[in-house]
Amino acid sequence: MNILFVLAAILLLLMCMIGGKKGARSFFALFLNFGVFLITILFMTNTRIDPYIITLSACAVISYINLFFINEVNSTTKAAFLSSIITIVLLLLFIVLVTENTMIQGFGKEEIEELSVFSLYIGVDFVKIGASVIILSTIGAIIDTAMAISSPMREMFLHHPTINKKELFTFGINIGKDILGTSTNTLFFAFFGGYLALLIWFKDLSYSFGEILNSKIFSAEMITILCAGTGVALIIPITSVITAYFLVNTREKEKIN
Amino acid sequence: MNSLHKMKEMGSRQVSLYIIIALFFITSIIFVNNNYSFYERPIAKVIKTTLEKTTESNEINQIKDQLYTQNIIAQIKNGEERGENIQLTNEYSSSGAYDQEYQVGNELFVSIDREKKSTLTGTIKDVKRDKYVLIVAWVFILTLVFVGKKQGLLSVISLAVNAILLSYALDIYLKTSNISLVLVCSISIILFTVLSLLLVNGFNEKTYAAIIATLLGTFVSLLITYLVMWLTSENGLRYEEMQFISRPYKMVFIAGLLIGSLGAVMDVAITMSSSIFWLYEKNNEISIKALKTSGLEIGKDIMGTMTNILFFAYISGTIPMIILYLMNSSALGFTLSMNLSLELARALAGGIGIVLTIPIGLYISIFFVNRKRTKS
Repeated sequence: MNILFVLAAILLLLMCMIGGKKGARSFFALFLNFGVFLITILFMTNTRIDPYIITLSACAVISYINLFFINEVNSTTKAAFLSSIITIVLLLLFIVLVTENTMIQGFGKEEIEELSVFSLYIGVDFVKIGASVIILSTIGAIIDTAMAISSPMREMFLHHPTINKKELFTFGINIGKDILGTSTNTLFFAFFGGYLALLIWFKDLSYSFGEILNSKIFSAEMITILCAGTGVALIIPITSVITAYFLVNTREKEKIN
Repeated sequence: MNSLHKMKEMGSRQVSLYIIIALFFITSIIFVNNNYSFYERPIAKVIKTTLEKTTESNEINQIKDQLYTQNIIAQIKNGEERGENIQLTNEYSSSGAYDQEYQVGNELFVSIDREKKSTLTGTIKDVKRDKYVLIVAWVFILTLVFVGKKQGLLSVISLAVNAILLSYALDIYLKTSNISLVLVCSISIILFTVLSLLLVNGFNEKTYAAIIATLLGTFVSLLITYLVMWLTSENGLRYEEMQFISRPYKMVFIAGLLIGSLGAVMDVAITMSSSIFWLYEKNNEISIKALKTSGLEIGKDIMGTMTNILFFAYISGTIPMIILYLMNSSALGFTLSMNLSLELARALAGGIGIVLTIPIGLYISIFFVNRKRTKS
């Protein structure tokens, strides 16, 4: 039997046992995300469409699935959705700047030997694809952080209906500070687990520190981790501001009515 | 009066911390822009480029790509030939999978042809990327400190400590023969967990509960993955696509899987224990049943987004390779199974770890709460 099938079945079983209906929905959302991921790649093989546009659309769809499908459409998820999109756009601007200067796109010289059967001249802009890869590896963490801040902010608002924007914002920032460490940690270990083979390989071939740091593969991995971490930190103030506005403004609108 | 004095003291401590960070920032930037003499390989800075010729590539039917040849004059920055100009040629394509256009100001590692000619010639080996990595690292550090203040700084420190620890553990693994990588990683994982959680959350029962839950969650999920691998005889895993293999590949895969899910499992464990302890501290009389219900509700909320984090972090890196396969007209099914099987296995195993840690974290936190209750 295929190992992926068995692992997926175990995950589904556990999610249903512990999470009930919501667990099943989370598992289904994973499937949908995988579908979006595949469609994104297929679009990217069409050289006429700009990869940035494909990436931003994919991010919007993924955020939509993970916020509105797993949870429900309410002021919290709307604020989280808007914050995620704003953060992704800001982060993308930064990443574009970085990838166009660092030349970390495509494949490194360590990988090129095994790719000799392929033609590398395929008309796709690998610099743009590189920026998209960084954004897509962070999207899960960005959505998670947005939700983890806006959700308790709503609870706070429900318990203290007279709270003002500034107090609500400070509350959001404080929650953000508490989760910042664990969120960056999650990403850090996820990436390092993936790069373990590379690290051992560098050490086995006794690369010097300078060679490792300047090599395309390692610097690309480092830049991915650092950009992902920056995104997770960036979304904290953005979500706090937007959620505070959303909640307080709806209250004031209701008052006028 | 006293509190005013305290505030002043704290303010000045903060200011001095910012000054120290600023000093580090400035020195490191100056250093990385002038560190040529620390490199043994010759470095040349591009001072002039001319486009020599343009041709169209059609290696694959119906896909157009432009090929360019560019002549470069660069100035050598280190070694014996320092200050001399060198002539280089660079071929690049508009897609840039393995090449790129160079512009004035780029710094390149080159090798110099050792024939005595009137002008030096050489070949381009690599790009000097250290200053960009440093700048991005500073953007990361400053954003974290700006948003998280003290916690932000602690997170940066904890990441740095973990990175050093990992590198040190790998050194031990490589220098000791007959030691299993999975064993080295298991010991490192215990250290990572204890250090990260203590550093970010301090010495208290909340942290202890999270540490135990993390370790149990990680190792139980490892056990399950091992068992599934054994039962299915790893049918469906395409190890041949694993890159950078200099050691037994299966061990490397399992060790990577173990470390990869650790951060997410830690996150779940600390979320569970913090919420349970928070509920208990708010209401010391709260029943175990109420704690269980609330804990499970919180767990349900986080399991979807946490598995998503791992999912996207793992599979996104495969995009360039999948595109390369597809554009070279490989079949879709073959392409996906070649490039995604290991990443998907990792993501699914990590997901199992995350979901399992929810009840584990819940019951261990309740155990600690009970102990605290009987004590007081």
